[in-house]
Parts: sequence; C-alpha cells; structure tokens
Amino acid sequence: MKPGPYLLASPAAGLLLGLLICPLLLVFRVSLYQPANGHGFFTPGTWTLANHSSLLENHGIRMVVYTMAFGATVATVNGAISFVLALFLRSLNSSLQNVVFAGITLPKFASVLVILFGLQQLLGDTGPINRLLLASGIITEPLSMIRCFFGALIGEIFLILPYTAILLFAQVMEIDPLLETSARGLGASRWQVFRRITLPLSLPGLVIAFQLGLVWGMGAFLGPLFLGGPENTTLSVEIQRQAFEYSRWPRAAALSVQLIFAIGMGLSIIAFAKSKMTRRLVRGGQ
Amino acid sequence: MIPLAQTESLRLAGINFGYGSGHLLRDVSFELPAGKLLTLLGPSGCGKTTLLKLIGGYLKSREGSIHLGGRDVTHIPAEDRGIGMVFQNYALFPHLSARRNVSFGLEVRGVAKSEREQRVERMLHLVGLSPTESDRLPASLSGGQQQRVALARALVFRPDLLLLDEPFANLDRQLRDLLRDELRRLQAETNVTAVMVTHDQEEAMAISDFVGVINEGQLLQIGSPQELYHQPRTPFVARFMGAANILTGSIPGASRENPLMVRPERVLLGEEARLGCWTSTGTVCSTTFLGSDMLVNIATTNGPNLVARIRPSDMLLPGMVVRLGIASDAIWQIPGCDPQGVCP
Repeated sequence: MKPGPYLLASPAAGLLLGLLICPLLLVFRVSLYQPANGHGFFTPGTWTLANHSSLLENHGIRMVVYTMAFGATVATVNGAISFVLALFLRSLNSSLQNVVFAGITLPKFASVLVILFGLQQLLGDTGPINRLLLASGIITEPLSMIRCFFGALIGEIFLILPYTAILLFAQVMEIDPLLETSARGLGASRWQVFRRITLPLSLPGLVIAFQLGLVWGMGAFLGPLFLGGPENTTLSVEIQRQAFEYSRWPRAAALSVQLIFAIGMGLSIIAFAKSKMTRRLVRGGQ
Repeated sequence: MIPLAQTESLRLAGINFGYGSGHLLRDVSFELPAGKLLTLLGPSGCGKTTLLKLIGGYLKSREGSIHLGGRDVTHIPAEDRGIGMVFQNYALFPHLSARRNVSFGLEVRGVAKSEREQRVERMLHLVGLSPTESDRLPASLSGGQQQRVALARALVFRPDLLLLDEPFANLDRQLRDLLRDELRRLQAETNVTAVMVTHDQEEAMAISDFVGVINEGQLLQIGSPQELYHQPRTPFVARFMGAANILTGSIPGASRENPLMVRPERVLLGEEARLGCWTSTGTVCSTTFLGSDMLVNIATTNGPNLVARIRPSDMLLPGMVVRLGIASDAIWQIPGCDPQGVCP
C-alpha cells in the first residue's frame, strides 16, 4: 500500500500512542508496585499482584458488578430514550426539527457541574418535585431520588443523551420513508412496520449508541459522585477516592486496569450480540 | 390448484384530490373490468401517480369513491386494502434477502410457514428468480432482478389489484422491453387486475388492455390503445399517443372548433398522393431519422405544415418538392377540445 493512507492515520495514531497507550502502560506498571510506606505514592522498584488480588474480595467484586450493571442500565435507558426522541424528531418538519435540536443540545452549553448541582437541587428531599408531591398529598415522605442508583442514572443520562440522540437521529433519517409506506401496503400493522422495518434498519446506530452509553456509563464519575449513593459506587468514583483521598496509587491503578477490562468485556458482548442479531434479521424465520 | 390472484373489477367515481385550493385531480371516474391491465398515461406532474396512490390507499381523497369488486374501499387504510404495489424505485427492504422481501406480505398476515414457503418459492419461480439470487440482499441484485423481486412481493399475497408506478423507468431499453413482455405474461397468468402508471406511450400501447390519458389532473380519455391512437377525443390525447398532424384550416371541414387529425403514416407522398381526397405540393423543411422509419416535415403550398412518415430508403432531402395527399379515411375529426379550452 502507498504511504498516503498511513499519513492520514498518523495524527490520530500519534495521539493514541503518546497520550493513551503509553500512560495506560504506566498505569499498568503502577498497579504492580507495592503501596507507599510513609512517603510518596508507591514503593519504586517493587513487584506485587496484591493490589489486583484484593479486587477479588467481596467488596471489589461488588463494585465491578455494580459498575457493569450501572453501565448497562445507562446504555439501555439512554439508548431507548434517544431512539424514541430520534423517531419523534424525524416525524417533524425541518424547521421544528431545528428548534427541538437546539433544545437537545442546549444543556451542552452549560457547565456539567451547573447541570449536576441543578439536578441535585431539583431531585433533592427538599427540592421542588418532592415539595410539590408532598403538598398535593400523593406522598407522605419525600422520595429519595438522589444519593442512590436512580439519581446517578438520571445525572449520567443527562450528560450522554444529546450525543446519542443526534447520532440516532442521523441514523433514522437514513431510512427511506417509502420502505415503511410499502410495508404498510403489504399489510403490516404499525407495530409490524416498526418491528420489522424501522427497528432493524436503525440497528447499526442503536448498537453504537448502546456502546457509547456503556462506555460512558461504566466510566461514569460525575453522575455517581454528585447524585449517586455513598455505599454503592462506580469504579471511577472509587479510583478517585483511592488516588486522591487515600493516596493509594497502586490500588487506584489496579482498579483502573480492572475497569478497562470490564469495559472491553462489555464491548465484546455487544459486538457478538450484534453479529448474531444481524444474521437472524437477514435470514431468520420470523 | 390455488389461484394466483383474486380477480376483481375496479371502479372509481368522482375522485377529487388536492392540497389547499390547488386541484391535483378533478372528477376522475372510470371502471376497469376484472383481469384487465389499465395504463395511466400522462406527462410528469399530471397527477397519475397521485391517482395510483389514492387507489392504493396511501393518500385519502376528499371526494369520490373507490370500489374493488363489490367492496367500497374508499375509507379502508392501505394495509387492509389487499392491493399489491410496485414502487418506482421498488422500495425493497434493504436488510432482508430477496426471498424474505417476497415473503413479507405473508409473514405479516400470519400465513403458516409451510404454506408461506410454498407460495414464495412458486412466486419466485414465476418471476424467474433463481434460488441463489433469492438468498441475496437487494443491493447485490441487478435492476432487473430487483424489479422481479418487487413484482413477486406485490403478487405473492394474491392481491385483488396490482398497482405499478413507472415500473420500468430505471431500466435500460433492452431490459425494459423484456420485462414488459414478462409483466404482460405474469399478469395474464395470474389474471390479476392491474393499473400501471407511465409517461411512455409506446410502453402503454404495448402492454395495456386499456389506456387512460391524464393531463392537469383530468382523465381526458380512456379506451383501448387502438381507440386512443386512431380516435382521440382531444388534441392533447392525439399528440400524446404519437406524432399527429392537427389541422385547423385549409382542408375542407377543418376549423379551429373542429380540428382534424391525420397520423404521419397516413400522409400519402409522390405517386400515391393522387389517391387522396385532398392533395397539394410542398417543400421538405427537415427530416428526422428514427431507424426503422423517418419523419419529414413538409411545408405545403396551400396550407399548413404536415409531418409524414416514410421509409429511410425513400431519400427525401430538405429543399426537395413533393406531391402529397390525404385519403378521406385517414382523417379523424377530433370531437372535443382540451379542458383548458385551448384548441390548436
């Protein structure tokens, strides 16, 4: 092959190598040091698997499982909301599309912290939602919507949704409306048209949106930190805590390595499921 | 053996359609006997595709009624009408193999798997698609094969009526002629009542039992291809069905109100000219070579310009003076004007 294509790839390759792969290798090395004894962040020149093996204890496993579950939930709920939103956007005329689009991207103009503090106020025990529900007599005790799984989920989806909604909008706009028209003409109900035409043709975008949601959700830091519960937390929050609160860098590094593996595993499962689904859609019985 | 299609007649009465104040279709009425093929012919934007979509149930008309057999389908949505439609770009489902495209209409109707497979295979065989081709995705099929898939998909659920929107528009000439014949064969074999839309009068004449000419939202005339070609009711129909000399004076009986039509192949030249009830001499202005024949434009000394169809071997060149005549049986008096009220 001529050098042209490689030249095109070189900026990205340089970035990845210099700013991602090399630091990752360093992180991996740090995860194999013994903890610091008295001064510094770790004991140089030492080798140990202790930081990793401690992850196999109950607490460590629970955290990994929680992180994966959180990522999968974020990916699923966010993917579903984005898809419905994209389908709604497609049904609008182009000027209305622009208005709704502006609404979707608006939160991205504000600082992430502003949004999360805002959500904290809104969903808190003394926030307007709880006060309204209490005043109207629907509930007698305030609903705990923050400092729990639900709060972290809402916060994280707020941060991801604009990206996945735009991505899925681009995907559903690719679907020729005539295909849906002709499916109806062939006798399909609205649900059958959605199930057999719209959904499968949106699958490539849905998979990417799900992958994005999973990676973001599993690596979630700000949402769980501000709105999540104190006892169950994601690996990212724990990594920050270990590194900056307890100065246990080897432990934080080991957790990071674990997180990368967990995300890799999640992505592999999606890739596998996608190939299965695609085959089923093309040839399968129903 | 199970019949391949239902045979139902189609009846439209007083169909009006338009957006806002604009009328796309005005008072369209016709009846098509069961098992016949009608072609709606007209220039682009005349409303013929709109009419097809109304029949299919993809659009709703404000006035008028549509009957299929004994059934009033005017207010029945597309998915319940039982009408097969072939779209201009086929609208095949890109994620489904050709076979699954064909079986779609049976799947959504809940036809049992064994019967479904049997009917799909039979239909694929009927349109001439091989088993290997049937396993491919539409994108890896040629235009002609895609057309066959679209046709099979529209016919497999035994529709009461088959609609075809410019089905040959995206194909090259040779393939178009081939598929035209095949469509005719298929329609005859399945005995399905069919309505096709085209802007190609040659295609319309070659394939149809009936032709309906539409212009500016109005059905000007409907009848057999021969009837429309030889006895057009308006000057527009006369011209749209093929080259025509429309005479509004000079010849006895011709006037602006009562135009006469003479087809170019009925204009007599040279020796034969004296057989005409009307004769003249003229100068050749221009010639158009069409392969099997030639059109010559002749300026007559005592009348209008006339177009005549000759064999290319007749060697007429611009500037040459010829004798020409028209026999009385070649003259058709056009009974009506075009709705716009403009006569030639």
